[in-house]
Amino acid sequence: MTHRPYTPWLFLLPGLAVCLMFVIFPFLNMIVLAFTDASALGGGRFTGVDNFVRMAQDPKFWVAARNSLLYLAGVVPPLVLLPLLIAMLAQKVVPGIGIFRTAFFTPVIASAVVVGLIWTWLLDSRGLVNNVVEALGGTRIPFLTDSTLLLISSMLVTIWRGLGYYMVIYLAALANVPKDLHEAAMVDGAGPIRRFWSVTVPSLRPTMVLIAALSAVNGFRVFSEIYLLSGGSGGPGGASTTLVMLIQSVGRGLTGEVGYASALSLVLFVILLGLLLITLKLNRREDQL
Amino acid sequence: MKRRTFLAGLAAVPVAGCGLSGTSSTSSAGNGQVTGEITFQTWSLKPKYTDYVNGVIDAFQKQHAGTTVKWVDQPADGYLAKVMADASAGSLPDVINVPPDLSFPLAKAGQLVNLDESLKDARSEYLGNAWQAFEIPGKGGCYGFPWYLNTGPIFYNKALFRQAGLDPDKPPTNFKELEEQALKLAEKKIAMLGQTPSIADFGLYGVKLFENDKFTFNEPKGVEFVQTYKRMYDAGALIPEALTQNYTGAGAKFMAQQTALSPGSAYDLGKFKTDAPSLYANIGITKPITNTGSANMFLHGVSVPKSSKNQATALAFGRFVTNAENQVKFAKLASIFPSTSKGGDDPYFTTEDGTDEARVRVAAAKQLKTAVNYTPVQFSDQMREALLQQLADAMLGKKSAKQALDDAVNECNRLLK
Repeated sequence: MTHRPYTPWLFLLPGLAVCLMFVIFPFLNMIVLAFTDASALGGGRFTGVDNFVRMAQDPKFWVAARNSLLYLAGVVPPLVLLPLLIAMLAQKVVPGIGIFRTAFFTPVIASAVVVGLIWTWLLDSRGLVNNVVEALGGTRIPFLTDSTLLLISSMLVTIWRGLGYYMVIYLAALANVPKDLHEAAMVDGAGPIRRFWSVTVPSLRPTMVLIAALSAVNGFRVFSEIYLLSGGSGGPGGASTTLVMLIQSVGRGLTGEVGYASALSLVLFVILLGLLLITLKLNRREDQL
Repeated sequence: MKRRTFLAGLAAVPVAGCGLSGTSSTSSAGNGQVTGEITFQTWSLKPKYTDYVNGVIDAFQKQHAGTTVKWVDQPADGYLAKVMADASAGSLPDVINVPPDLSFPLAKAGQLVNLDESLKDARSEYLGNAWQAFEIPGKGGCYGFPWYLNTGPIFYNKALFRQAGLDPDKPPTNFKELEEQALKLAEKKIAMLGQTPSIADFGLYGVKLFENDKFTFNEPKGVEFVQTYKRMYDAGALIPEALTQNYTGAGAKFMAQQTALSPGSAYDLGKFKTDAPSLYANIGITKPITNTGSANMFLHGVSVPKSSKNQATALAFGRFVTNAENQVKFAKLASIFPSTSKGGDDPYFTTEDGTDEARVRVAAAKQLKTAVNYTPVQFSDQMREALLQQLADAMLGKKSAKQALDDAVNECNRLLK
């Protein structure tokens, strides 16, 4: 079968057009705007690296960058490990397991806003959790009004939301772990813990790297959890603001500083790209070992 | 955020009638012929006010043969984003519903028609304070027809007052009494307030907010005001969420009876009745707490972008929608008030019928005659956030009141440029 050389492009055209219009063009535009003082109402002069100099001197940027990194550190390890443990439990074929699998997956499909509101009500100073704490004789815990606790509460919500999604990925990967490896290990006298570390974990390593990369990117880009739990304020004094929240706060509205917000977005992009490259490199190096 | 609540309120009040007739004439439209098609964009008026707005449009079209008004209603969520996208693309609708703080950046960017130039005789048809709200301070020019207004009383929870041993019939009338009573409530572990002061609260306290093209609320009176709040915060008279939440959040806490006092509007009373009957049974209504004698006012308007290809028709329609007759009819459907100089004398706004609703309405209408839109039009969302964050630092003791206000003012002035 022969075809004209441009025929494949005709099939690709609709997808490419959408990608160009809604991904490539805004991305290139963001890079250009990062070097201007553009506002929401257009205009903007070329200002060189002024936005980046301002960023380096902006305490809000450093607070947001620190919080995003903390988020990364707080969210990635549990999201790599916990879904694996849940997947191993959910993998078992026992009556009613479907209910557990559904229960773990429900937060994934729930709207971020709904999830945020539910947790806000739970963790509010007069919320369910604090009422229980008080009823048990404790003092109310400022989950949403202390900047550190707010960050930790948001991390817990992110972990809770992500468990089901990564569990499904692990379930698929676990199904591909050769049974004969486990059987051989059992014959050799390996117990369940030894088999987990020596058979399951090495077999799942590529999946774990993938999940680490995905959860790192999602964790670094966190917005809705912290936005909703803090009522859009970024915590008392904005001390729990993350990078994406800062971008939204700087660039929103008719008075938004689009140039500076673009510069922040560019920095976020470079950091995320760096994170992905490091993950890929680590994975490749381990493959070679 | 006050804007959103105000509109949410408006959107929630049921429509009671429809069908209108207009009275304004073709000559009122400035230069050019009143004909052709225009687009009118409103903020969250569908479906509650569909009949009303269609009635106004029909009446206008009947009065001006050859005109067609296409009505587009945008939901409150994303309204700002829509205006921003249209403004950036230079394709704003011909007549657009905007509050003063949204009209200001558009006017500053030269995108709106100056009504003082295009319709020199229009000013006298509106309340002076409402017209001024759409002016660019210091530079003159009015960039929006004032539309509906609102102001409100202070609501307080009599049951919580009683619980703290306070006289439920003697709510605070000034900020000094507010502090005294708040501290007494705090002794019984009851919070008086649900939020730190907004910029309008500084205005009500008598602080000079803006002078000579600069924000000035870090003046000594402003510092004194923040120190008052700090004392109340330390005593537990503000709920912990006060450091992060806005007007809407604070209103919800009052509804949940977690705070004893909250500003509100005539609309809120209806909301208490249906959504919080146990609060409604104990609700106290009093005058706004102000040191200046003037209450705070919220308002909306309609502006005409310069990019409109049919400016004469757009201006005529903007004036028609906001004329006294149409505004009074609108005000009777929703818990709002007309911004025209003549509308306020309608008996609906001056006569009580024994109900709480009428009492609040008449009191608010009286209040509006001297009310001031304290929030400077230059005060953007970013500035509101900066103030909230600095006040949180002051309440937590991370900064002195003076330092927090200095930092807030510096940030606001930087954003002003």
